This record gives sequence, C-alpha cells and structure tokens, in this order.
Amino acid sequence: MATYEEFIQQNEDRDGIRFTWNVWPSSRIEATRLVVPLVSLYQPLKERPDLPPIEYEPVLCTRNTCRAVLNPMCQVDYRAKLWVCNFCFQRNPFPPQYAAISEQHQPAELVPHFSTIEYTITRAQSMPPIFLLVVDTCLDEEELGALKDSLQTSLSLMPQNALVGLITFGRMVQIHELGTEGIYKCYVFKGTKDLSGKQIQEQLAIGRVNAPNPQQRTGAPAPQPPAHRFLQPVKQCDMALTDLLSELGRDPWPLGVGKRPLRSSGVALSLAVGLLEVTYPNTGARIMMFLGGPCSQGPGQVVNDELKQPIRSHHDIHKDNAKYMKKAIKHYEALSLRAATNGHAIDIYSCALDQTGLMEMKQCCNSTGGHMVMGDSFNSSLFKQTFQRVFAKDQKGDYKMAFNGTLEVKCSRELKITGAIGSCVSLNVKGPCVSDQEVGMGNTCQWKMCTFTPSTTMAIFFEVVNQHAAPVPQGGRGCVQLITQYQHSSGKRRVRVTTAARNWGDAAANLHHIAAGFDQEAAAVVMARLVVYRAEQEDGPDVLRWLDRMLIRLCQKFGEYAKDDPNSFRLSENFSLYPQFMYHLRRSQFLQVFNNSPDETTFYRHMLMREDLTQSLIMIQPILYSYSFGGPPEPVLLDTSSIQPDRILLMDTFFQILIYHGETIAQWRALRYQDMAEYESFAQLLRAPVDDAQEILQSRFPVPRYIDTEHGGSQARFLLSKVNPSQTHNNMYAYGGDGGAPVLTDDVSLQVFMEHLKKLAVSSTA
Amino acid sequence: DLMQCKNILPEYLEEPPEIKLAHQFAESPNCSSEIFRCTVNRIPESNSLLQKSRLPLGILIHPFKDLNHLPVIQCTTIVRCRACRTYINPFVYFVDSKRWKCNLCYRVNDLPEEFQYDPLSKSYGDPSRRPEIKSATIEFIAPSEYMLRPPQPAVYLFLLDVSQIARESGYLQVVCETLKTNLEQLPGDARTQIGFICYDAHVHYYLMSEGLTRPKEMTVLDIDEIFLPSPESLLVNLGEYKDMVKELLTILPQRYSTPGVPASALGAALQAAYKLMAPTGGRITVFQTCLPNIGPGGLHSREDPNARSSKDVAHLNPATDFFKRIALDCSGAQVAVDLFLLSSQYCDLATLSGMSKFSAGTVYHIPLFRAQRPWQAEQLTQMFTRYLTRKIGFEAVMRVRCTRGISIHTFHGNFFVRSTDLLSLPNVSPDAGFGMQLTIEESLSDLQQVCFQAALLYTSSKGERRIRVHTLALPIANTLPDILHAADQQCIIGLLSKMAVDRCVSASMSEAKEALINAAVDMLSAHRLAQNLPAGAAAAALHAPAPLRLLPLYVLALLKRKAFRTGTSTRLDERVADMCLMKCAPLPALLRVVHPDLYALHALPAHAHAHAHAHADAPPPPLPPRLQLSAERISMNGAYLLDDGETMIIYVCHGVSPAFLSETFGVAAFSQLPDEARSLPKVESEGNEQLHALIEKLNDDRPYPASILILRDNSPSRQLFTERLIEDRVESAFSYYEFLQHIKTQVK
Ligand SMILES: [Zn+2]
Ligand SMILES: [Zn+2]
Repeated sequence: MATYEEFIQQNEDRDGIRFTWNVWPSSRIEATRLVVPLVSLYQPLKERPDLPPIEYEPVLCTRNTCRAVLNPMCQVDYRAKLWVCNFCFQRNPFPPQYAAISEQHQPAELVPHFSTIEYTITRAQSMPPIFLLVVDTCLDEEELGALKDSLQTSLSLMPQNALVGLITFGRMVQIHELGTEGIYKCYVFKGTKDLSGKQIQEQLAIGRVNAPNPQQRTGAPAPQPPAHRFLQPVKQCDMALTDLLSELGRDPWPLGVGKRPLRSSGVALSLAVGLLEVTYPNTGARIMMFLGGPCSQGPGQVVNDELKQPIRSHHDIHKDNAKYMKKAIKHYEALSLRAATNGHAIDIYSCALDQTGLMEMKQCCNSTGGHMVMGDSFNSSLFKQTFQRVFAKDQKGDYKMAFNGTLEVKCSRELKITGAIGSCVSLNVKGPCVSDQEVGMGNTCQWKMCTFTPSTTMAIFFEVVNQHAAPVPQGGRGCVQLITQYQHSSGKRRVRVTTAARNWGDAAANLHHIAAGFDQEAAAVVMARLVVYRAEQEDGPDVLRWLDRMLIRLCQKFGEYAKDDPNSFRLSENFSLYPQFMYHLRRSQFLQVFNNSPDETTFYRHMLMREDLTQSLIMIQPILYSYSFGGPPEPVLLDTSSIQPDRILLMDTFFQILIYHGETIAQWRALRYQDMAEYESFAQLLRAPVDDAQEILQSRFPVPRYIDTEHGGSQARFLLSKVNPSQTHNNMYAYGGDGGAPVLTDDVSLQVFMEHLKKLAVSSTA
Repeated sequence: DLMQCKNILPEYLEEPPEIKLAHQFAESPNCSSEIFRCTVNRIPESNSLLQKSRLPLGILIHPFKDLNHLPVIQCTTIVRCRACRTYINPFVYFVDSKRWKCNLCYRVNDLPEEFQYDPLSKSYGDPSRRPEIKSATIEFIAPSEYMLRPPQPAVYLFLLDVSQIARESGYLQVVCETLKTNLEQLPGDARTQIGFICYDAHVHYYLMSEGLTRPKEMTVLDIDEIFLPSPESLLVNLGEYKDMVKELLTILPQRYSTPGVPASALGAALQAAYKLMAPTGGRITVFQTCLPNIGPGGLHSREDPNARSSKDVAHLNPATDFFKRIALDCSGAQVAVDLFLLSSQYCDLATLSGMSKFSAGTVYHIPLFRAQRPWQAEQLTQMFTRYLTRKIGFEAVMRVRCTRGISIHTFHGNFFVRSTDLLSLPNVSPDAGFGMQLTIEESLSDLQQVCFQAALLYTSSKGERRIRVHTLALPIANTLPDILHAADQQCIIGLLSKMAVDRCVSASMSEAKEALINAAVDMLSAHRLAQNLPAGAAAAALHAPAPLRLLPLYVLALLKRKAFRTGTSTRLDERVADMCLMKCAPLPALLRVVHPDLYALHALPAHAHAHAHAHADAPPPPLPPRLQLSAERISMNGAYLLDDGETMIIYVCHGVSPAFLSETFGVAAFSQLPDEARSLPKVESEGNEQLHALIEKLNDDRPYPASILILRDNSPSRQLFTERLIEDRVESAFSYYEFLQHIKTQVK
C-alpha cells in the first residue's frame, strides 16, 4: 500500500482535490473533537490535458432531491442496465443510448480512472467571452501611454470572436460606441451620479441581446455573436478600438493646486456592471478595470480631492476614522453582487504609488473571481506581464480562463455542507446536503464563480452529521461529488464532475487511523483561509487567539506527551510541520496588518483566498534556497541562521522573489569579480539564483515583485521580516552567534513559540 | 379730404419731412433718416402741446446699419462732456477755441489740445474741421479704458435640432452646406472659435482636438442636470480646425438622416450652450423645428387649430419664463441667442422668442419648412448666408442720451435694459432696429433744438473695441399746426406697430387694435382742432394734414397684418413671428411688410422706354410707380409684382398679352403657366431682362433677396396675392373706404 503522502498526491493529480482528513470520523461528536474540520480544497479547473473529450451530457440520478451524476463509484447491473446512485442509493435505469454497455464496454464515466471527467454540452448556446475595458484617464502621460500600449496588445491576445467594449473615466465617465460611421461617439455621464441598470437601459436605448439559435447544421458558418454598438467582436472593431485607444487622452479637467484628480471609479464601475447586466445577463464576461488612483468623488468615493487628506490607513480604520470607507464598501459590495448574479467578473488592475481603494473594492474581485493586481506603475513589467498572462493559454491552445461557472456539491448522507471559502458567491440553493451550520459562505450547496482558472481553489467545508449511536458500516466509504458547470473560453458550455470517496474511521477506537490520514498542508491552508475570513469580519487579537487555541487543541489531541512535562511532547511526522505553518501564518502579512496599507492587506488576502495549495503554502511560509560554492542549491530553513556571508539566498514569498547576496558575496560582486575570466565560477554562482528566479517569474500570476539586494541593503528588510528570528538582539548574546545574522525584532522566535506551545499543550489545567 | 382722395398713394416712397434747424446749425450735418428718425421732426415745446397733437413721440434707430461711408477715427482721448458723457458732435457750441458747451446738458467743457488737429488736412486750427463735428455719424476706435476685459474673440456656437421632425425637414443639409460654404466669410480674426451642439432627447457635443483624427460626438443623456462633458475642445479655433469642422459639417446631415426620436431637449441644449459660451461671450444660433417637449423648459402645445381665426387671440404670452431666464443669463455673459424657427407644426414661438428678445438676438421664421422644396431651401440658404456673413458686433451696449427735459420711457427691440438709458446688446446686427418712446418732462421753450445721441460701444469681429455715435438734432415747434406738419407718418406707423405688439401682450388683441384705430382718430381730431374745422358728424369730409394723409391707410394695413388680423385663419407662431418682426425690423423693411409695393409689370417696357438712358453714366431709370393695393388697380390684361420684402409675388392675369407671356416667361399661352412657380425663368428678351433688373434693384437694399412666387389669377393659392390688397374689403375687415368712414364717425 502506498503511503498517505503518495495517496494524497495521486488524488490531487487526478481529481484536484485534497482533504484535511483522508479517513473520515464516523460520528459527529468525534469529528468535532478533531479540531481541524473536514474540508476539501478543490481546483474545479485543474489542468487535465489527458481527459477524454466527451460530447454528451452526464447521466443524472433520477431522484429529484439528488440528481447526482453517474460515476465510477456507482454499482452497475450491466444485465439489467441499472445503476445505483452512491449518494441516495436510488436504482436508476440507463438511458436508451447506453443499451450497448457491458463490463467490457463501459462508458468513460464508469472507468475508475475517470473519477474526474468533463462533458461538453453541445446543445447549449455558445457565447464568446466579453471583455469590457474600464480605463482610468487620470494618469500622467507616461502611465497612460504605457497602459494604452498594454491595452492595444491585449486586443491581439483576446479571442478574435470575443466581444469588447470600452469605458473611460476621469471626472466624468464615457461609454464609447464602437463602429460608428464617420465619427467617434461616446456617451458621457457625471461621475457623481449613479444610474441603475434600468436607467442605463432606458437612456442608452439598449436591451438584452438575444443570441440566435445555435447552428444545427455542421459546415455552416459560425453564427455571428449578437452584439450591439457598445460591445463588438474584436475582429470587427479592433481598428476602431485601436484608433480610440491611440487617441485617448488624459482626463482634460484642470487640476487645482493641492488637489487630487476627481476620479469617478465608482460610477464607472457601476455603469460597466449595468451595461453588461442589461445586455448580456448570465453570460461569461469580465470587466477589466484599470485604476491609477483612488475614487475621489461620487458613489464609491474613498478619499476626497484634498491632497492634504491622506487615504485611510489601518490605524484610521482601527480608530473608526475612515470617513468614506463604509459607504464605499457598501457601494462596491452591491456592484459585486449584481455582477456576480449575472455571471460577470470584475478585474481590478491597480497601479499607483499610493493606495487606490482596493480595500473598499475588494468584493468586486473576491465575489466574482476577478483578478486583483496591485503594482506601482502601468509601465512596470509586473503589470505588463501580469496583464498579458490573463490571456494565457493551456497546452491545447485554449484560454485558461473559464467563465460564468457554478460549483455544486453533493455528499453522502452522513455528511452535510457547512459552507465554502473562495472567490465565489453563494447561490443560496438549499438541499438535503446543506447544513444548518455555516462556515464561510454557507446555507447553500451551489456557488457562483464568474471567472476562474486552473489554479482557482475552493475550500468546501463539511460536517459529519452521523450520530454516534448510528455508526456507518465498517468498511463503508463516504462520497462527495463536485459538479462544475461553466462557459469554456471557446464559448461552449462544459460540465466537470469530480467524485471522491474516503473511508470512514472510528475515532473512538482507532484514532491513529484517522490521525494517519491528516493532511497537514491542506489543514494549514484551510486554517489560513478560515482565520483570514474571520479577520475580514472582525479585526483584532481575538482572531489570533482563536488560531492559537485551535493549534493548542490540535496538539493536545494528537501529540504524545506526559501531562505537565513539556519535554516529553512529540508530534508524529504528518503533524510535525503544522505548528511551524501556524507560527509563520500568525506573523504573516495576512494577520499582522500594521506594517502594510489596507490595500496591500486586501491584495495579499485576496490571493490567499483563491490560490492552490502549493502557492498558498509559499504565501504562508516562504521558501528559502541557498546558493554557495559548497554544493548545488538547496532549500534551507527560513531562519536567520541561513543568512551567511558566503551564500546567496533566493526567497520566494509568492508576492516577492528576493535574491539576497551575503556580505562576502556582495563585496566580491562590488569588486566585479564576475567580470574576470578567472572567476567564472563566481559569475555562475551569481547567475544561478537569477535564472531560478526567472523561472518562477515566468510562470506565476500575478508576476511577483523582483528584488535584488544584499547584506546591508535597504530591501534586505523584506528577507529579515520573514525569517524566523532565532537570533535577535534580544538573545544573540545568550546564544553566542554562530555566524548567522541577527535580526532586529521583538517577535518571538519559532523556538520560543514552540516552547510555549508545548507547555500549553501538556498542561493539565489548559 | 381723405374721403375724396382716390389716388392717395404717391408713386414713390416719400422722404421724411425735412429738418430745418435754426440758422446757427442750418448747415450742420444731421443724422441720416435711415439711421435715426423721430415721429415728428419738430419737437413740441411742452408736454401739453404734445398731448394736443395726439401724436406718439418716439424715435426709431437703426444703429448698426451697413454704411458705405463711415468716418472712423482713432485718437488718444475721445472728447466727451464731463457731466453727461455725451460725445462731442456737430451740434455743440464752441465757447471759444478751448472750450465747448454740451448740447445735451449745457455744461462747458475744456477742449483737449489734440482736438485742434485736423487729421484730414493734417493741420492745427479750427476745431469745427474735426470729423466729430463734420459728421453726425462717426465711429471711434476706443482706447483701453473702454474695455472691462480684453475684447472677446468672435465665438459662434450652433445648436442644431436633430429630433424626428428636424430630420424629416431636411434642414440640416441646407444649414451645414451653407455654413461650410461660408466658413471663410464668417466675421472674425485668428482667434475665432466655433462649436456645435445637436440635441434630440439628449444633448450631443462635438469634440475636436489635436489628438483626434475626426470629430468625436459626446452625448450627455442627463438632460435634467446638463453638464459639459469636456472642459475644452468643444469650442475650437476655426482656423486651426477648419478641416475638422468641414468634416463634421459633412457628417452631421448623413448622421442625422435616419429616423430619430420625437423629442427635443432645447432647454437643456441652451443650458449647455450657456455653460460653453459664458467664459467668452459670443453668438448662439439655434435651429429649431418642433416644440421642445422634454427636459428643462419643456413645453406643451397651446394652440387650438380651431381657434386660429377667432377674435380673441390667446397664448401670446410665454408659457414659462425659462427662455427669458436663460436669455438673461446669456446677456449677462455677453452671449446672444438667435433663433431660426423652421417649423412644420406649432412650436410656441411666443415662449421660445424669449431666448432672443432678452439676449439681443433675432428670430427668423420659415413656416412649414421642407428642404425638398427648393424655394424654401433657397430662402434658408439666402437668409442664413446673410446671417453668417454680415457684420457683427460683440459685447455691445447702446446708450441713448437726450437733451435735458426729454426722457425715454419705453424701448422696443431685442435687448436687456441694464439701466434707464443703457441697453445691453451681447451681439449687435446690422439688420436690427430699435424704437424708443419719449416723454417731455420739462418745458423746452427756451431751447432752439433738441438732440438725441445714440452711442453703441461694441467689439468688432476683429477684436477692436469701437464706439459708433449717431447724433440727431431737431428743432422745437411751439404751435400745433407746426407739429402736425412735421409729423413723420412712416416713423409713426413704425412706432405704433411696436406699441401695438406690446399692447397685445400686456392687454389683449382687441385693445391693441382699438388703440391703433384710436391713434389715427386722435391725430385727425388734433388736425381738426388745429385747423379750427367745424366739429360734429355733419362734416362730410375727413381732413388730414399732408404729412399724415397716409396714416389711416397704414393703420388699416397694419390691422390686416398677420400680427393683428382676426377673422382670418392665422397660425399662432406666424402671428408671433410677425410681431417679432414689428418689434425689430428697421423702418423700411417694416413699411414694406405692412404696406407692400405693387408694380404693374405689363407697363414695364413703357416705363423703361420713357427713362431710356443713352450713356452708361446717366442715372439708372427710377423704379416703376407704385400702385394702390386694391383690386381696382388690377387689370385682367395685366401682370403685377407685389413686394413685401420677404416675397415678391408675380401675379399674372388671364387677359395678359401672349407677347408679354412669351417675352417674360417664355410661354406661349396663359394656360402653360404653372399654378405656382418659385423662380423667374431666364428668357432671351428685353422684357425678361427688365423684370430681372427690377427684381435685382428691389433686392438691392435688403439683407438678402426676397423669394419669388409666380401665380396665375386662377391659381389655387392666388389669395396669397389678393389678401395683400389691403384697400379691399375682406370678409372680416374693412375696406379702406369703410375704414375711413369708421374713423370719420369718431373724429371729434
Ligand atoms: Zn441519487
Ligand atoms: Zn453734457
């Protein structure tokens, strides 16, 4: 039998799913005692180039309250042409077209290997994606120029049948008509007056665009996508749009001394949402908003136009001194909900030296699955490359983005769904699988994901409802099924179905079986999402205290120790890294907000709530590699002791890629040894981390900030803030330095943290 | 005796009575009667004398009339009275070579050294040789103290109705073409700016800027809270953007040729225009084709088509003061609003005209306009071309000063009265006339003469601040007969018509008409008094002094004008348009409208022959004699031309000779003439040439040529001609003879 590690990996590769527990406690009471809840981390669109193309529709369980999809875990009676639903045990006849099936001739969805399978629904109407560009013009010449270049480029990156539209804003908001004969035409709106979808519809005299019936005959030319004057197919309007973009100037309104530009982001976004809402409801679309500063007037305002009034800080928010925040959040939340309801995503590409109000706008991205990208400048490679990567394609040449998806979860009777945390909104669909308890977005078994990519990961929370008195049969398995319906970038409707099963275990009798199935990485990521979700609702020390309490209780439950003897405390291997993750999580930017702006915190949290497990772990506990003459590059502890004069370090925090040159290396580099032929090996050593960094920079979304620094360099602080301060000015004398660099921090070190943890875990009074 | 006088109309229009000043000024140049005219050319020495004469006292002025010889001088000091700010003029008294006495307030002022210099002879000496003294009309180029701000550039903004009805009318093509043709002729300098706003249910602005390859239409939907979509580039420098402007003028008619919406947000467009123009001042030109029915200033139809011939004419007052208010805002910002009403249905001109009235604009009206009708397209082209290319003065004020003892109490025309004697004229046009009613407040018996001085301070289209000064001097009369014999009946009818319009609005149509009749009765009663004629109805005769003998005829003509007629179906907008014209037209144009000129065309060759001139430098033949406007004068063997300024109706009777027909119209028989023709064909013949020459000559003195209408005496629309024969009786109104009888019964 494979190790759990291998089992977990296999399942993740095949189904894109990981559970915090791989053996499930068989009763409610036992489940609650496990401290870490039963959660699946699921990537609905995990890249599976090997999946067979299936162009028929899934077979559903005929029980109305169930409607689960036929899957390899179902019992099949090939003679009687019946199958038994593994969720509700309904016996279902196969549909007529399955008459020819036999044990030797199984449809793909019954092959055990295809516990994840994808159907393409050919009879559904095909719609190209829609891109509505919403462009800030309160930028300086250089920024606007760079942004325009990127937008021009994006026209060639978009699917050529995609519909595209343009809204620009500054003090006013302009909706541009595309393809008007002989003249450019736009509609101009005040930046201070919000309009409802209905008003937009009436005033612009536009209505819902009804798609023609999909072409039945093959060989006939593809039907023209329905369009109207504001949204036109790229291939038809790219000339007009190219002209429009090249002629797009800065916001022309004069700027008073000491004033911010009057920027109407709030109304611009509202008009974008309204425009799509009335024309293409329930169709894949993304609003791409490019923002160069904060909204300074009208609905959604986050700051006024007096430069002497800075935008709110965490401190202001804490002191309830952020005048515009609540109203703005309300505005953007309402917009997010409208967009999400219609299946429309909102991306925000924010490039500015100061904050732009991402904190207030966050739900726009978080609820719709849209990207939130934060950079200093539209002229930075960070923005340019990130934006290009939005249009990345997979191995098959399909765009990686999917649209207008719903994720539906079904589970065995012993389980109920308590909620989900991820870039989605609840669709408020109640069902027999839905629990009364709520974690994250609960009270539903369906969630809307307006856009998502292969890395998009949802955390779905379950509770075991089975009563202790009614244990599940020994050897039985619990099942969950995740059904994702979405609009593929090709326009086709697709359904991906993942069915996963795990054994039940009796925690009272065989806790070690259950413990062995613990996935500490999944658990760390789940706890991170949970604690950040809490932190978003309530600010302050309670959140950290809750996280600590959970850790202590887990250690109490699963550690081996003699009561009140901290030195006796041991954790088994598959729990051993978990406290470290929690240590780094507590001191991460996700929970320690005061060194960051509210926008930065928002951005970091936004990424944590959507990325896959591997990336999330990097965010929680950055990876540190060491490069030296001593041997090949190796991962080293995220610890001050790893900082050595003769080493180069490469740190990946997900958000930053940092190369740190130790003191000696830095000196040599300053003396330009790398340029001398006899020191070729030094040049190679210098190059190695740069090459590795490039590899990460090439693949990550969004493109991380790249930092090249050295001993004593000001940017070295990014490294020093992440490493475990095993040596600080508090304790360096006590330990007597062994060459590591001291870190100036009052943080407790991992060692101190662990000592406290052990003490509390073994305490009989705790 | 009017009752006995059948041929009362002189063959040619008479000059106003001569002004004879006292000997000291007998030779002084007085202001031209084309510019400045008083209802009586000798001012009564007292108010009681004036009351006895029963004459209306007032002046008509045409201050910015196109002039051929206008002395223009530039000097460092403009010599003015220190007390009353009167400009030095031909009627001042030189106390000695260093001092002059003001002829309006009698203050003695110092004469600056400079004034001794005669710029013509370039020598020092007699101040009376100065142009200021030698001409009663003069223009100064003002030094900087006459400027509150740098002179504004010429700024032209066009507001174009693109509603459903506007598109159907096809006017946009005509307007855009005409404008495109005349762009180079627009008065202005290198600073001239131009802009466009179209409006239907929404307001469309046109952005033209450096970064653009073609104009950009920016539409604002929110007409209830209108705003400018851009702080710049909505008004652009004409020189720099001429190509883009032309492109826009080409695009617009195409763009708005498709079906539109039946909505017109004129009010919002005007608000937008005001915002756009307020920083500089300038001219807004509105083309409106329908009732503005939405947004600010939105109107509802008030006309009852069934009541078009009713005796009581309702809705002559504005339905809302919105257009007045915006006009006042515009006036405050040196912006005038001109309205071209090209309506095919009721547009409530009574309300809309407010935008022009109070901003010193002009109202043009072509009823039932259709661009498909070539004559209407032509009429619009002519009208608009003149409008575009004529002189224009910006940010103007006009002050009218009078000799102490006389004051102005009512102004007529389009303007805003800023203070008792100061009119605010954001734009001044060479086609605009004004009227003022006067009162005599003090006895003038000590005086030899009375003076009026009108000073028009304006910015020329080239950005010069200029002052045009007209001074009129009139002698004093101290007896009633003297006054009556100095009456200027044309001027009187000009003033009476303006007063009657005011009366319609402030009181009622019937009161206004009553007042007009009374005015004639009163004047003739005064004459009877002056002549000591026996009182009472016994007298069979109705005597009138020679200078007033046409007055009853003119009053009757006025009563039959569209503005005042009742009993005949008259569209409310046409009535109001006529009233606007009465208030603003210069006197000659007004007279022609009230009493058109009728010429016998069949007699043209004989007339021409009689005045044949051999030499090129011999004076050209005078116009043919005018005929009285009566069917009696129409021979069934004749052909006639009736000229009211706007239209020349050529009326051909069935008995006219075939020779005349073929020579004039190139047709062999009467039956070959169309029912209605809109142009006079060119035929290689003397008669045709003569007629063309006549028409050209008649058109000579008017802003743009009148349109031509050729009718047969059996054409369905021949009443267009016959209704203008005002001496004849029509269903609801007196004939001239009946009218005289009616007056006679009232003269006491
Ligand atoms: Zn079932
Ligand atoms: Zn004076």
